[in-house]
This record gives sequence, C-alpha cells and structure tokens, in this order.
Amino acid sequence: MGVALTLPRAGAVTDELLAPVLDISGETLSALRGDLVEALRSLASDLPGGERFVLDAYRFSTARRHPERCGTPEPFAPSPARCRRAVGLAAVDRCLRRRARGPVEAVGQVLETGVDDAALVERGEAPRAPWWAKWYASLGPGGRAVVAAEAVTWCTQLWTALAWDRFPVRPQVGGRDDWWDEPSTGALTLHGRAEVRARVGQRPVLVVVHSSVPDAAATTALAFPALVAGLAGGPRAIPGRVVGLWPTSGQVRVLEVEEGALRRCADDVLSAVGTWVDAAQSPDGVSRSAK
Amino acid sequence: MERRQSATTLRGATLIGRLRGEGSDRPRVDPGLAGGLRDWLEDELAAPVAALGDQNGPVRVTKETLNQVLVCESHLVARRGAPRRMTEELARGSLVDAAFRQWITTGRLDDPWADSLAAMEATGDSDGVVAFVGALPSARRHALADELAAHGAVLTAAWPVPSPTWLARTQERLTVPLAGGRIVMSGVVDLAFGAPSSGNASVCIVEVKSGRRKVEHRGDLHLYALMETLRSGAPPFRVATYYTATGELDVEPVGREVLVGALHRVHCGATALCRLAAGGEPARSPNALCGWCAGLASCPPGRARVEMTSGGAPPAGAAGGLTDDDEVEDTAVEEDATWVSP
Repeated sequence: MGVALTLPRAGAVTDELLAPVLDISGETLSALRGDLVEALRSLASDLPGGERFVLDAYRFSTARRHPERCGTPEPFAPSPARCRRAVGLAAVDRCLRRRARGPVEAVGQVLETGVDDAALVERGEAPRAPWWAKWYASLGPGGRAVVAAEAVTWCTQLWTALAWDRFPVRPQVGGRDDWWDEPSTGALTLHGRAEVRARVGQRPVLVVVHSSVPDAAATTALAFPALVAGLAGGPRAIPGRVVGLWPTSGQVRVLEVEEGALRRCADDVLSAVGTWVDAAQSPDGVSRSAK
Repeated sequence: MERRQSATTLRGATLIGRLRGEGSDRPRVDPGLAGGLRDWLEDELAAPVAALGDQNGPVRVTKETLNQVLVCESHLVARRGAPRRMTEELARGSLVDAAFRQWITTGRLDDPWADSLAAMEATGDSDGVVAFVGALPSARRHALADELAAHGAVLTAAWPVPSPTWLARTQERLTVPLAGGRIVMSGVVDLAFGAPSSGNASVCIVEVKSGRRKVEHRGDLHLYALMETLRSGAPPFRVATYYTATGELDVEPVGREVLVGALHRVHCGATALCRLAAGGEPARSPNALCGWCAGLASCPPGRARVEMTSGGAPPAGAAGGLTDDDEVEDTAVEEDATWVSP
C-alpha cells in the first residue's frame, strides 16, 4: 500500500513504521512454512549435484524481471554502486550514535577504518575487514572519491528518510541478515536483509531500501525479507510490517505482514527458485521460463 | 517575489550564501502543490498514454529527450538511430563533473586529470571517456588536461567544502513515474544540498556546466525543480547553474510560475514522445541546429534550411551527429545494485 505523506515526510514514514501491528496466528504460519519447505526441498533436489544456490533479494528480483539473465549471472565485482549500501549503512549507524556530524563525515570515517582494517588483515593482525575494504584501499584518490560520493548520497537518503528521534529504542541499522538453509539437501539457502530493524511491542518491523521505482511486484519484494525471517527464526521473528523506501522516486510502500502476503510471496519464491533451477539445468544456461 | 538574478562570479562564503538564500526567507511549502501538479500532469497525459496501446516499456523523459523533441522530432529520432559519438566537449563535461564531485565530497583535488579519469574507471566508464581521451593525439590530450586543470582551479577557488550539516550529495538520481509507470521522468542532479522539507522549501539544486552559458540550461533546471517537487512533495527553494569555465553562477528562486512552466514543457514533450513511441511520424521543424543533425541527409526541409542560411555549404561538422550539449548524462533507469556481498 502507498502512503499519503505529509511534510515532514520522515515523521510520517516513521509513524507508519511504528504504528501498532496486526497479530498473526502461529498455526497459520506453521502450515505455510510446512508447505513451503516441502516444495523447496523438491526444487533443491533438482539442482545439479554439488551446487549450492542462494536466493537473495537481487536474485529474487532477477528471476521475476529478467529471467533470461538467470543462466548467465554476472560475476560479482566491487564497484562504487555495489558498495554504497555497505558503506552507507555503517555511516548511518555512526550518525545515529552521534559519532559524526553528518553523512559526509561518517562515510569518511567508515572508509578510513576500512583501509586500516584491510592493512591489518594484510599483515595478519586482524581476522577480517569489510568485504569492500581491500578493493577500496587499492584505488587512487579519484576512485576513492567516487566511492565516497556514492556512499554519501545513499547514506543521506536513508538518514533523512526517518525521524530517528521518534524511535523509543534505538533501532538496528543493518543488523544481522536472515539466512535459512533448506535442511534435507543443504543445497538451497534463502537470504533476507533489511536496512533498519526496530520493534513494535513484541514484533519486529523492518525498513528496506530499493532503487528506482516500485513495480508491480513491490509487495512481494517487501514480503521476501519477512518470509525469510520467519523461516530462519520461527513465527516470532516474522516482522509485523515492512516499510519500503524508493528514495530515487520518493515512493514509500507499507506492507502489513499477514498470511495472504506471505503466501503470495512464498508462491513467488517457488517460481523464482524454479527459474534459477531451470537455468542451472539447461544446457544453454537459460531458464525455460525465459524462452 | 524575488527576481532571478543575472549571472555573477562569486566565491567562498558569498557563493554559498547566495545558494543558501541567506538574507531571504525560505518560502512555506503549499502542502497541496505537489499533488496538484502531479494530478494536472497525469490528467494532461492520460490521452497520449492511452494512445500508446500495449507498447512495451515506459516512455522516458529526460532533459536530453525533452530538449530534442521540442526542437525537432526528426532530430530526436535521428539522434536515437545514430551511434553515440564522444567528443572533446562531452569528455570535458564528464571529467569536470567528476572533479567537482570529488572536491565537494572530499575537499581535495590534487590532480584533476588523473583523479577524474580514475573516477571514470572505478565506475566502469560506460560512456567510454577513458578510452576516448586515451586515443586522442598527444597534443589534444594535453590541451584537454590543461583545460580541465583550469576548470579545476576555478571551482576549487570558488567552492568552499560544504559543512557536513548541509547534507550535500552529488549525482543524485531523480525518477518520477507518471501514468502508472508508462512515462518515467528521470535525471541526475550534479549537487543537491539541504535537509528534506519540514514545512519550508529547503533544498538547493546546482547543475555544473563546463561549456558556455546557454538559454536551455534554465529549462533543464526547471525540469529538475519540477521533478524534485513531485518526488519529495516540496519544491527546491533555489536552482542554480555553475559555469566552471568562467566561475559564473546563475541562481534562480523557484516559484509557482517556474514549476507550471516546466509542467507545460513536460506535457508538450511527453505528448510528442508518446506519439513517436506509438509509431507516429516525426514532425520536421527546421531550426538552427539542422546543420549538425545526424538525419540531415534524409531531411529535405532541414537541407533547405541549411542551404538557405549557409549559401549551400554545410557548416563544419555537419551531419556528424554532434551533440548540442556539453555533457553525457546517464539517465537509464537504475537497476538494483543491491548485490549479495561475497
């Protein structure tokens, strides 16, 4: 559902996020979970031997919007656009903890720490650094500047989208992603994530950030992290609400998480996994659903 | 009402003060303005969108397509069909944008040439600027580097590094879907600063130009002002163009007449774009740019215009598909860059 936003928008969005949430029956969720797990087991068993497939929001979206791309996934390579979320989230967290006066300062601190961490890992003095740090450290001033600029813009959009002082308890920025492994084969994993996690009473609520404009599948995109949270953490982990932000277009969508939304998302997840499995089985690497 | 001020050369606190509107009140936002403008535009575009039928994909409205279709529909079609050619002016525009972005974000610009090229490489150089300048003869490459250094010197002398509290962000994308997504307005703003509105207009938008002043730059800014209004629910309080060649700053307050003017322009342009997308024949409107049009060879009215104005000789660079702007703007709808981390 879209939201009629009054100015200041951040206050209106935050009020929507923190409004009381609906209860959802544990029995209903158990039944849904049972059906979904059974169907995913069957799909996972069709994956070529030895392959492990992770369905995350990106692949979920690719299967729905561009099934023809499922057979030839682009290899991951760091870029300013691809690391702006990771850097931007850490920067929003610094702003929230009052360790920086604004996004540009926070992003600078995050990047500097990343370079230090990468150097420590290089010398064997630290176990790990952020995934982008080594690549970022390898760039010259011009490359580093564009990474910082992308992250500042992303961070500013999230930082100004919510009225942080309205949260009764400081929300988690980023937080732990949700991972669910299909138990019988271990070949299939669902990965859900959110930009902000807060609580309304006993139930979590999530904020997720997307790019561009919401399309017809926006509802299912919002339900996906809720479904994965429920699979990974059980009924009490299912968020009561997911607020989707599309800062580029100023669009906001609110999903009240209820049985119907989860069932529709579960159907879409099965279709998406099926598309990827088809592509993995196809000799030309193209899903039959894309032909 | 504040009048539009003529371009002036400013620097430091004076430049920022002008952009921030110091000494004048920020106007209150009419809470019904954005919704009213959107409804107006959607109503006006309902018929052209209906005529699209089942045509796939949205009709995209950018500053480029709007300028081109309003000048001559045939020119737009010819440009679409011609391969995109990089020029030294376009390369300079992209490099200056990168230098400006670096300066605003980091407050450092030690080597504009190396840094700007490195920025292009880090982002994948989708416009081919790095390859283009690499292929230039040495003398022209050095001349372009000198030119970029001069632009860099102007902007670093004029622009103080913004305070972190001003929320300066660069290359911010604006996307405004209309008519259920059948029409998508999109653009990339070189610099925006100011917090989102809490009742008063609070955002300033700045476009950076490395070329000379042109009247159509004002139309581009008005388009961005309209898009920002539709996106955020509040108009920007100022829009400005900064010219890095001369240090001139062209600042304009955003009133209702600016937004309504931009809306009429979008209505006219989007209507024409919808008609073309539905298979309509492009109208030919001979104009002063005909000599540079990629479609000149197959355009009798355009050739007649060129012959009439040049005595039969086409101008230098004629029919080469030269751009009439000085920058490349990536306005493709952004795909989700939210990859899983390794």
